[in-house]
Amino acid sequence: MKSTQYSEKVLDHFRNPRNVGTLEGDDVASGVVGNPICGDLMEVFIRVKDDRIVEAKFRTFGCGSAIATSSMTTEMVKGMTLDEAMQVTRENVASELEGLPPIKMHCSNLAADALHEAIKNYRAKMAGEPIAEKQYSAEPTECAIGRDQFLGKGVYVSVEDPKEFKGKRVLVVHTGDKSLDTAIRLTAYSGRVVLSTPDKDIKTTKVLKQKLAKSAVKVLYESRLLEIRGEEEVERVLMHNLNEDEKYELYVDAVVLSE
Amino acid sequence: MNEVYLDYQSSKPVDPRVIDEMTPYFHDLFGNPSSLHKVGDIATDTLEDSRKRIAAFIHADADDIVFTSGATESINLALIGFALKNRKKGNHIIISEVEHISIHNIAKYLASQGFEITKVPVDQYGRVNVDKLERRLRDSTILISIGYASNEIGTIQPITEIGKIAKEKGIAFHTDAVAAEGLVGLDVNRDNIDLMSLSSNDIYGPKGVGVLYMRKGFRVNPIMIGGGQERGLRSGTEDIPGIVGMRTAAEIMSNEMDSEVVRFRRYRDKVIKHVLEDVPDSHLNGHPTERLASNAHFRFDGIEGESILLSLKDKGIAVATGSACSSKTLEPSHTLIATGLVHEEAHGSLELTFGRFNVDSDVDRVIEAIPEVVAHLRTISPIYTCAGR
Repeated sequence: MKSTQYSEKVLDHFRNPRNVGTLEGDDVASGVVGNPICGDLMEVFIRVKDDRIVEAKFRTFGCGSAIATSSMTTEMVKGMTLDEAMQVTRENVASELEGLPPIKMHCSNLAADALHEAIKNYRAKMAGEPIAEKQYSAEPTECAIGRDQFLGKGVYVSVEDPKEFKGKRVLVVHTGDKSLDTAIRLTAYSGRVVLSTPDKDIKTTKVLKQKLAKSAVKVLYESRLLEIRGEEEVERVLMHNLNEDEKYELYVDAVVLSE
Repeated sequence: MNEVYLDYQSSKPVDPRVIDEMTPYFHDLFGNPSSLHKVGDIATDTLEDSRKRIAAFIHADADDIVFTSGATESINLALIGFALKNRKKGNHIIISEVEHISIHNIAKYLASQGFEITKVPVDQYGRVNVDKLERRLRDSTILISIGYASNEIGTIQPITEIGKIAKEKGIAFHTDAVAAEGLVGLDVNRDNIDLMSLSSNDIYGPKGVGVLYMRKGFRVNPIMIGGGQERGLRSGTEDIPGIVGMRTAAEIMSNEMDSEVVRFRRYRDKVIKHVLEDVPDSHLNGHPTERLASNAHFRFDGIEGESILLSLKDKGIAVATGSACSSKTLEPSHTLIATGLVHEEAHGSLELTFGRFNVDSDVDRVIEAIPEVVAHLRTISPIYTCAGR
């Protein structure tokens, strides 16, 4: 079966997604679930009144079935009590949609999980518990494997002459405003600039933040450099996506550390 | 409204002129070249005449052409056949990171059989770095296999330079020319190509036919054993109608390629210009100039390729994507990753490939549809709004 061989109902929810958007208010909670393999991301919002879901919305980055399952989930849970909604499974969502291609069952059918997250977050909110934010230990990135081996062969600890980066793909490890400024500056020379930070957000001045948003710098949030790889010179880096706990290789020609 | 087909990379219609030439060989001229009677003699003449005429298409000797069942078989014969034949000389083979998936899978198989495989990295445009290739050569290197052009992002490789290095070092050079044939003039002598894989369908001939070019002195072990056809290198009764089809397709291509390429380039450049101008946060994948005339490959921040494909399908436009969600393995395109993209970026890719039967209005339709589709999908995306753009 083709991965895109969808039922009419899936296609209908893909073409006309119900309940797209976000919700705000004291009676609202949200849940976010990502797929570490391909990068799908689903966000479900619920508004609760007298222990019942009165409104549900979603936003999804993903394929046709990712969008359709999100849409269907938000439709299904309206009017349900929180306990009832906790019982909704991926399988329920799939069968309401008249089935999904087998390969898509587990990769793009995560909306029920996002819903359960939202309910847990709502209950925690009502109980006055703080919503747990993931914390990543602050290991110094200078410890990346391969740093010394590739020093002068694509690893830089300072950028003296940005022209050296002409046409190169550069990874800049964020260590503060100086590294951020370097990343933005390098976009004028380099073929591509990637900035990695273990944090969810880059804390900096308003001016630099605006500059970053306008620049061609690709920011990898919640990401850590683990290892520098290559034959004689830098060719790849091993990155760790902290949020998804996934390790992957990124092809670069240069790495700028501790600017 | 007509279906707009912009996926010529994956399949091409057979040119009606090719079908006309093939037709008599299904019934009237049905002989087997191995037969010794007159019906068989006609088949032999047809086979050898076709061999000569297809050889001319790539400036090769007719003796160096082996007919196969398509590019996949040609590549299997070139890589596995050559590796097995030359095992005593060495066990090291070089390919690039951006080869067609069939090359990567054959390389995996050869690695399991004791061969050592090295993959040369590419730059951000998907071009092989020739210096890096040269530095990876070993005394045990027996074969370099680099695709003429990428079937995904359309980047054309520095084939002449690679051929020169291979010749200097006495290493065999195979190129998978499937993505490039019909779009680039192929000349095995100019480029010092020793082995070259070609498919018939990629020049508007029938599917199920292909060729392996094999320069004298660069022999392979057969991987198909049987009655000893094709000098024992590829057994099985020759597909005369298919071979006639490929021959006709090659000759039409020789006459029409130059003007066709001019037309495709016009389509391609128009689409690239409009998409990059009309769609915010859109990017071109592949090389800005060293790319196939028929290929436009984009990525869009914050949205996913299969969704784009389905939305365009609803508008009657057929396209392709390198998104993980549409692949058999749920892995993102290895080619896009090798150019330095992260999964999430490879996720949002869109591939358009033009061909012989496209018309100007096809280009207009897709230029109109893409910005609408991207804008709609971005309203659903949590990533695009989060990016704060």
